[in-house]
Formats: sequence, structure tokens, C-alpha cells
Amino acid sequence: MSLLEVENLRTHFISRDIDNQIRVAKALNDVSFRLEAGKVLGFVGETGAGKSLTAQSICGLLRPPARIVGGSVLFDGQDLIEMPQEELNALRGDQIAMVVQNPRTSLDPLTRIGDQLVRIHQAHTGGPVTASRGRALDMMQAVGIPDPANRSNAWPHELSGGMAQRVLIAMALMNNPKLLIADEPTTGLDVTVQAQILDLMKGLTERFGMAMIIITHDLGIVAHYSDEIAVMFAGTIVESGPVREVFAKPDHPYTRSLIASTPEKLQIGGGAKLGGQPPDLYNLPSGCPLRTRCTFAEDVCATPPTRKQIGGGHYSVCHFSGALPEGGGPQ
Amino acid sequence: MSFTRFLVRRTLTVIPLLLGVVFITFMLIRVGGLDPVGQLAGPTATQAEFDMIREELGLDKPLWQQFLIYTGNVMQGDLGESWLSNRPVLDDMLERAVISLELLFWGVGLGALIGIPVGLRAAFRPNGKFDQTTRVLSLLGFSIPTYWLGLVMIFVFFYLLDWAPPAIGRIGLMIFPPDTVTGSYLIDGLLAAEWEAAWSATTHLILPVICLAIVSAAPIIKQTRAIALEVLSSETVRYARACGLPERTVRKLVFRNSAVPILTFVGTEVTGLVGTMSLIEYVFAWGGLGQYGLNAIVRGDFTAVQGYVLALALFSVLVFLVVDIIVHLIEPRSELS
Repeated sequence: MSLLEVENLRTHFISRDIDNQIRVAKALNDVSFRLEAGKVLGFVGETGAGKSLTAQSICGLLRPPARIVGGSVLFDGQDLIEMPQEELNALRGDQIAMVVQNPRTSLDPLTRIGDQLVRIHQAHTGGPVTASRGRALDMMQAVGIPDPANRSNAWPHELSGGMAQRVLIAMALMNNPKLLIADEPTTGLDVTVQAQILDLMKGLTERFGMAMIIITHDLGIVAHYSDEIAVMFAGTIVESGPVREVFAKPDHPYTRSLIASTPEKLQIGGGAKLGGQPPDLYNLPSGCPLRTRCTFAEDVCATPPTRKQIGGGHYSVCHFSGALPEGGGPQ
Repeated sequence: MSFTRFLVRRTLTVIPLLLGVVFITFMLIRVGGLDPVGQLAGPTATQAEFDMIREELGLDKPLWQQFLIYTGNVMQGDLGESWLSNRPVLDDMLERAVISLELLFWGVGLGALIGIPVGLRAAFRPNGKFDQTTRVLSLLGFSIPTYWLGLVMIFVFFYLLDWAPPAIGRIGLMIFPPDTVTGSYLIDGLLAAEWEAAWSATTHLILPVICLAIVSAAPIIKQTRAIALEVLSSETVRYARACGLPERTVRKLVFRNSAVPILTFVGTEVTGLVGTMSLIEYVFAWGGLGQYGLNAIVRGDFTAVQGYVLALALFSVLVFLVVDIIVHLIEPRSELS
């Protein structure tokens, strides 16, 4: 059994417009993936593809008008969607920990960081406060914060971005989670600090035996740090598989254009940009959502494509899976 | 910067501010043509009498000389004499300030005590039943004219129901006020163990305090709700939920993070309510500073008006100083500059 099994997860934004008509944005459409214990899964895709929303749906952190309308999320054998809010709340920060994008604004500005670490430990694990305090210092040490005893008295606004992100990682580690979800953990950081933070997280997953989901725009990060990749587009995982396999033989036209449009590829002239706008989630095209932008599109693309296996653990959702010419994405 | 240095510096910045206020009120009143001579002299006065009074008051001197004399006097604590009461304005005001502050304290205190929890609760469930009800109520509180509310309350609770004492002052007519210690009948009565007087003072306080509380609670509810809603949608709270902190902890966090803006707002509320205070004091014949100022304006008692405006400015400055100090104590990010 996998640690995390997501099956046909569908999340919609259901709201009423000015004429009191119900409007539905289909933000996640049949998202399915698995994550084994101890593995790292990277989510990539453009803004609005549903990467963060997938994470929020899993953790039950959706805020109205977003709502899960179908599918199942099995974490360690428990269905998270059916789970009552209090139980889910007890699981968050405990077995499923999150590291978010803006560490400095996410930490509680009115509580010293040591106390915040203690607070999350007390909320989930409990026990004597001195034990929590000791663990807080250990975790600060583990994430490479120098002089933890002193730094635990610091206020969040006194930390640099990189240091604050380390605190967030320490927060995540406090209760020994099985799954760490890192939602764009390095977007706001300097490039040099980015690498440090990612190396740190990768090392910690191995040391503590955690599984990790990294959500990012950056293909390089996924290529470097994850075992598996899931490429998202318009609320669907269009291609997923082992990182090596997907980068060596990208199948879906969208994956190909993503890889082709990395700055390095564009510089050496072999790349191509994918034109067009992301599809309107209120009004998705019938069939394949990419069809209006895809150069391979034919009449058959107006019908929904199915998920096909094209290699060991390598899946693609395209009518022409495995049948498209090698190389070159849409020009 | 140390706390005492901060206090000293903050207090020093008050001086140019007050000088500015002195200048503006002085000029506004002179330019505005408040001329007391006519009223002082009476309808049958001759030109010679007019001139005499004018000379006596120093109004024949050029404006800049008058201003310098006035400023010099103010600096020595002499705000001039009110021709309405024939007493120094400063004495008049000191006597009445406590009376008004008592009303303001209970009124805004009660308003905040109601407004803040109500606003918070409404924010935790936006558009719920509680939120919708309190939104309508606070809109009502906003739109009711204060003097009308006071009059209706007197009509209902004194005239119709006879629950409240008549609105003529701060204590019953048949009761001897306690010896003056603080100036507040309630506190003085308690200090002197004159229970009857203290009780009478309390019953007289109730209606104006409720009136002021309604007027001040309405904006506090609205503002608290808005502030708490913003905190609730902040990354801090979203992260707290992602950490699986219990709901009680999250609410505490929301409250603590809303405290500074709410406090600042209540501070501006307090200073903004002085106009309302005048009306409430007038309706309830309270005899405090607000009524004094209103009376002085209506009757053209310009020394009293100047003193009143100066007192209000000083009051605002003090309120903001207190707010700043409290903010500094609860907010680790404050830089004290």
C-alpha cells in the first residue's frame, strides 16, 4: 500500500455570479497519483494548473468557494476526504506537515520562534513542555540554524527569508511527519539560499524517512530533487512517471513544450515557447484541455483522452500517447 | 532606543503641535468675528463705553500683539477669564474635565467591551446569522442621531417607564454631593462611603453611558469585524491551520494579531467622540466640558472656546500617546521611532 493514494480527485470553485447564476470553475479534474513512503514527488505546471490546490485539497485546507466534489484521498489507509474536520486538523502539522511559500509572513509575528515550535509540538504530541523545548532546539539544529538556544528567542521579523524558511522546516519536523508538502518552498528566496534549502529538505527526507511533495514552477528543481514527477495542466495531471524516464522521453505535448521552453533550451536555439493562454476553468474546452494550443491536435482531441501507460510507472493523458514523433514539441 | 527616551521624545513633539493649535484657534476666532464687546456692553452702551471695554480686554492692540500676549499667558497656564462665569477658564475646565472623562470612560469602555467581542464573533462566521443581525444593529447605531437617541431614551426610560431618574445633572436633587476628591460623584461617594450618593450618581450615569456606548460600539463592531476578517485571511492564520493548531489557539492568534489595529481604532474613536459628547452632555444636562465648550461657542465666549479647543487637542495627543505606549508593549515589531 502506498503512503498517499489520490484517486480521481475533483475540486471545483462553486460560486454565484451577479445574476445569482451558479458558476463552476473546474479547478481539479480527476487528479490521480500515488506516493510511496520515503519518495519525493515533484509537481510542475503553470500558474493556475492546480498544483497548490491539489495540496490544499489533500489536507482539507480548501476555503470557500472551493469544494471537493469527488474522488478519494487515502493517506496511510485513512480516507482524508471523509474524515471529520477535527481529526484532519489533528493530522495536519502532525503526520502531514507543510512548508509554505512566504515563511516570514506565515509565522505568527507575535510569538517567538522557539515558542511557536513548542506550540505545534504541544498541540499534537503533548507531553512535558521541557521535552518540547528540547525537541525544538534539536530540530533547529537539524535544519542548520546556528546557535539554536539563542535564536529560539528571536521574533519572526528578525529572521532573514532563508532563516525563516528553515524555521518552517523545523516546525514541519517537530512531530515527525510521514509526509512533507513543500508548496513552492523557495520561490521567495535567493538562488544560493534556494539550493541550500532544497538540499536540506532532501537530506531530511532521507534522514527522517519522510515522503515529500514539492510543488514548483521550476523543472530544474524537480529534475534535481525528486524521484517522480507529475506535470499538471488545467487541473489534470497530463503526464507522470519517474523523473529520468519523463525527462528522457517526454510523451505529452505539454510536457515536451515545458521542457523545450526552459531558459537553457531557448538559449541554445532548440527550444520553443508554448503560445496561448491557460484555458478558462469556467469554460474548459471539450475533450483535451490543451487542444486549442496543441500543434498535434486533430478532430479526435475533442473527445476526452484517457490515461495510458507508456512505460514502467510512466503515464500520459493524450490520444496520441506513444505515437507522436520523437523530439520537438509544438512549434 | 530606551523606553524613557521614547517617552521624552514623544512628549516633546507635543509642544509644536499645541503651539500650532493655539495659533489656529486664536486666528480662527478673531478672523471669524466673534466679538464679545457688544454682548458685554449691552444694548444701551455708548461708544465711549465700547471703547473702554475694548481697551480693558486688550482688543485695541494689533492682532500679533494680542497673539503674543495670549501665547505667553497660555504658557504660564493662564487661559484667560470666561466672561460667562467670570472665572479663569482653566479652573472652569479642570472642574468639568473629570466629569466628562467619567462619562467618556464608561461610555467608550462599555462600547468597546460590547463592540470588540461582537465584531470578532461576527468575523469568525462571516455572513452567518449573528453577523447579519449585528451588521444591521451597528448600521442603526451609526445612523441614529445622538441627541435624538438621548431624548428618546429619556422619554422612554424616565417619562414612560420611570426606570431612570430625570435627566437633570449627575446626581439626585435631594442628595448632597459627596466631598470633592476626584470630581466624580460616583468615585467620591464610594470613597466617602456615602452609598446613597454613589447609588444616585450611578443611576444618573446609566442613560448617558448607554447612549454613548451605542454610538461608540457601532463603529467598533464594524471595524473589529473588518480587522479580524483580514487577519483571518492572512498567511499567518492559513499557516496556523496548516499546522493543525486547535481552533481555540487559532482564535487566540487572530485576537492577538487584531489587537493593535483595533486599539488604534478605539483611540481615534475616543478622540472623535468629543463632538458627540457635547450633544449627550447637553441633552442630559451633564455640565461637563463638552457642554461648557458648546455653550461657550453658542454664546461667543471666545476665551473659553480657545481654552476648550486647546484642551481637546491636548486630550487627543494624550490619547494617542497612551495608545502608542500600549502598542509598544504588545507589539515586538514596534521600533519606537
